[in-house]
Amino acid sequence: MDRDAPAVGEGTNIDDEAPRIEPTIETEAATKTDDAELERTLGLVGGLAIGIGTMIGAGIFVFPGLAAGHAGPAAAGSFAIGAVIALFVALPASELATAMPKSGGGYYFISRGLGTFAGTVVGLSLWLGLVFATAFYLVGFGYYAVDTLAELGIAVGNGLVIPLALLFGAGFTVLNVTGTENAAKLQNGIVALLLSILVCFLGFGGLDALGLVGEPATPERFAPFGAFPVLTTSALVFTSYLGFAQIATVAGEMRDPGRNLPLSMVGSVLIVGALYVVTIFVATSAFGSERLAELGETAMVEVGRHYLGSIGALAIVFGGLLATISSANASILSTSRAVYAVSRDALLPRRASRINLRYGTPHVALGLAGGPILVLVATGQVELLAEVASFLHLVMYGLICVALVSLRRDEPEWYDPDFRTPGYPVVPAVGAVASFGLIGFMQPASQVIGVAVMAVTAGWYFYYARDVTLRGAL
Amino acid sequence: MTRVLVPLTVLEGESVSPGLVRLLEPVDVTVLGYHVLPEQTPPDQARLQYGERATDALADLATAFEDGGREADYRLAFTHDRDQTIDRIAAETESRAYVITGAAGSIDRLFVALTGDVAVDRILEFVAELVGDREIDVTLFLATDAEADGRLALEEAVETLSRRGIDAESTLVVSEGPFDAVSGAPFDTLGEAAAEHDAIVVGEHAPSLQSFLLGEEPERIAAESVGPVLVVRPPARDTSSASDSS
Repeated sequence: MDRDAPAVGEGTNIDDEAPRIEPTIETEAATKTDDAELERTLGLVGGLAIGIGTMIGAGIFVFPGLAAGHAGPAAAGSFAIGAVIALFVALPASELATAMPKSGGGYYFISRGLGTFAGTVVGLSLWLGLVFATAFYLVGFGYYAVDTLAELGIAVGNGLVIPLALLFGAGFTVLNVTGTENAAKLQNGIVALLLSILVCFLGFGGLDALGLVGEPATPERFAPFGAFPVLTTSALVFTSYLGFAQIATVAGEMRDPGRNLPLSMVGSVLIVGALYVVTIFVATSAFGSERLAELGETAMVEVGRHYLGSIGALAIVFGGLLATISSANASILSTSRAVYAVSRDALLPRRASRINLRYGTPHVALGLAGGPILVLVATGQVELLAEVASFLHLVMYGLICVALVSLRRDEPEWYDPDFRTPGYPVVPAVGAVASFGLIGFMQPASQVIGVAVMAVTAGWYFYYARDVTLRGAL
Repeated sequence: MTRVLVPLTVLEGESVSPGLVRLLEPVDVTVLGYHVLPEQTPPDQARLQYGERATDALADLATAFEDGGREADYRLAFTHDRDQTIDRIAAETESRAYVITGAAGSIDRLFVALTGDVAVDRILEFVAELVGDREIDVTLFLATDAEADGRLALEEAVETLSRRGIDAESTLVVSEGPFDAVSGAPFDTLGEAAAEHDAIVVGEHAPSLQSFLLGEEPERIAAESVGPVLVVRPPARDTSSASDSS
């Protein structure tokens, strides 16, 4: 392995490790390096399941109560704004992913398009952003677990939310280290089950909300607090759309990436966005937004009870459990992949991506995901966790759009995407402005923590990896 | 020249027995070292850590095959899906068959199963090339519910081999009632008969409900017989439609 590194992408870090960049040939079915082939095993359905499975938990099951409290029925508009921003980023991300169908996703595009410094900051922020997102999903899971027990007649109160979340967070980490046989198939099953629960529930609730069946709904002012809270709520609920970019992190494992990557990224945003908007509409039609806000993280359970009685409540409790589990597990996996992508480029010590010979799993990277997640879960700050996760992802999304413009303007020879963003350069420009702009609508506390995390990652770059160069490397 | 693919879990120490190396002397060989990873591990991550170690082992194995004087090369693949990898590389190398290695000393008796919906002509042609003018006994085996058709098919098969200078015995098993792939009766007889031989040749057929429930037939035969199983692949299909199945 001590061959000379290619002329592009040299330099060593403080541990004298250099980026591992080798020439590869990408085909539809495999990636070929000079000594080995990496099979591509994920199809379109697998890609969609990763995107939907990561996204569907938070938005539908945790946010309706919180969002309605902030913005009234216009919270539906907040989710729609989030979906549009996500789409403006998903298109450029798809183009970059088909040009660079490798593990690493957003980190990889930015480090190649904008250089090592931006890459380091984004790569490490992505890892920490996923840690915040996973902690948020786990706390949401805790609320649903307590509600499940309540539905089963065991009232334990909200005091157990955090202990339960911690227990399951530790459980998922251990499960991922010891190997989860057929986890992807299970994940696909969960996503399919969730979608059918939601479609039934939303179909009935939607008819009711429109006044076609049941009692006519009480009319409520659409945006009782004005337009500004709609935007701040968009910033809060944007965590709901953090799944589509995770598809790019498995680009190296996807068959026919030129077709399946754009389809699954754009498709999952559209499907999930539509579900969110309808859900908020149904939820705010069932109760006034004040009542929803009182019900908090598990308001959807009462919405289910309102439309379909205790069966509806049970279905939503069950769905909420599945959805938060699926989001949390998918995010723990993505976190360990983010750590790997950065350590392969020598921006973190190589030890971070060691694989455990017994189980074949990256135990160090999974530990670097699981440990900090548990610390954050213990804080129990739902909104803060969600916003910091959004903050760190939005920076990456904005920079993905900038990286696309940068690569297109100075198109290197290797840059040959199968999918080209329609409406260039307007779409990436709007995507970048919208992503950075949304950050401005967050709570000051989230902004301060987000900036602090990025400052620490920048500090790491200057301490550890200043001499590593990746620009233009492939 | 006919090529045979030899897939091995090289990092788990799977190797080839001298008997199998000798059996495959008349054909070219591609050794496929593969490593199956759990879904949470990106294949590239495993390659960085284990690629070199696996390549060294594979180079040694390919040399062992080359000592017989024929052409042998090797490929290394990291995958989440073993079957997909074997299929893809068998197609790329245009391999006529792939091998489930098993354990074997000297291989003197070859068992050839013609049961079911398999390409009999391709199997017989492969057997003829493999045996050549060596002293290897061949038993042709067929289980069916249509006795007359089965007898005729076996006679034709024996005739085909004898034209290539190979003497073959034949065994016909007639199952009672309609031929029922799910009940497993013909499969059990096949397993018993096969266990008395040193190596087995079967044909690959399309995935069925049975293979879904019980595992691939060749795998089950290999598990029961201990010896190597050579799986003859069906003629190349049009693969353009098989782009997205999961």
